[in-house]
Amino acid sequence: MVLSSTPGDDERRPLPDPGLIRPYVDEPGGVDDRPDERPSGSNGAPPYPEPSGVRPYLLTGGRVRPVDASLEIEAQVKTTSAGRADAVRLAYEYRDIVLLCAQPIAIAEVAARLGLHLGVARVLTSDLIEAGYLAVRRPDAGLHQNKKIIERVIRGLQAIR
Amino acid sequence: MDSKPSVDAGNPKLQPPYPQLLDPRSERGPGESGDRSGQPPLPVKIVVAGGFGVGKTTTVSVISEIPLLTTEAAMTEVAAHIDRTGHVPEKTTTTVALDFGCITIDEEIKLYLFGTPGQDRFGFMWHDLTQGALGALVIVDTRRLEDCYAAVDYFEHHDIPFVVAANRFDGRLEHHLEDVRWALAVSDETPLISFDARQRRSVRDALLSVLHMSLARAEYSSVVG
Repeated sequence: MVLSSTPGDDERRPLPDPGLIRPYVDEPGGVDDRPDERPSGSNGAPPYPEPSGVRPYLLTGGRVRPVDASLEIEAQVKTTSAGRADAVRLAYEYRDIVLLCAQPIAIAEVAARLGLHLGVARVLTSDLIEAGYLAVRRPDAGLHQNKKIIERVIRGLQAIR
Repeated sequence: MDSKPSVDAGNPKLQPPYPQLLDPRSERGPGESGDRSGQPPLPVKIVVAGGFGVGKTTTVSVISEIPLLTTEAAMTEVAAHIDRTGHVPEKTTTTVALDFGCITIDEEIKLYLFGTPGQDRFGFMWHDLTQGALGALVIVDTRRLEDCYAAVDYFEHHDIPFVVAANRFDGRLEHHLEDVRWALAVSDETPLISFDARQRRSVRDALLSVLHMSLARAEYSSVVG
């Protein structure tokens, strides 16, 4: 894909129909009102063929790295009161996630329970964390070398019969 | 008399069901308050590694308090080409991509067990998987020792505490543990145990030996600095 183009290119080429890129926002009146996060040069891309279906990364608006790229797969997320209040306003997977996380679960669990690719779940949960719809608890740095924590895990496992 | 209800509220089918996508920069910022009750638990994890058909899935599911979850079923097709379970009798399910379970340790800590195929081709996933892990359990089938080489290499190279655990299929091992140690060329400090993936207590004890390695590593690090 052409990622850079001169202003002259933009003037000459017609804009592609955004509905062809992200089919699921192409509802009547349902246009994407977010500021465009794609590189501006993508305007110069040639028209796309009719899509055969929604591919996983279209759910993430084309982003493949989460807002916070280091979000661990075991990080716990839980819906906030704001998330509960706004759930009905959210689109598709965002809403599913907010409804799913009434009890805290791991990012990997979000992926598994909603049938999402792990990378997609990570991007979408990151968005929701940033928007304040999910609270997150990540493993502290150095946790795996924390003797007190390890000893607690040992005691917890020993209790299993 | 016309009892037909009038439809004047507009055809709901024409209304966009989700008028706007979430805008991350909308009204509410990250510091949103009001949900202080019940902070999410602190997650810790142990990686359960090994080749196809060695008993990872059984190991995780026998001790997990939730039914085993799988993230990426799309790997099945890839797995079909390299899976060698044809060589292993009585293997009916295949581990695909990443499956996992969890154990509530206490009111604050939740332990996750991530099972992963040890093949080189899944290497891209391993950093995510092992980052911050307390340790790893490398399961071997003594009939196919070579299947765990990739996992052993990885944990040695990344200095992650691990234990090699030979799964006793049908309650027996094909080789003596010392022969296994010799074949794998793991250091004498690396514990080599045998266990039964179908027995919860046996799995618990295998995980405990991993945690004792983690603890020894943590103590060593705190002394050395």
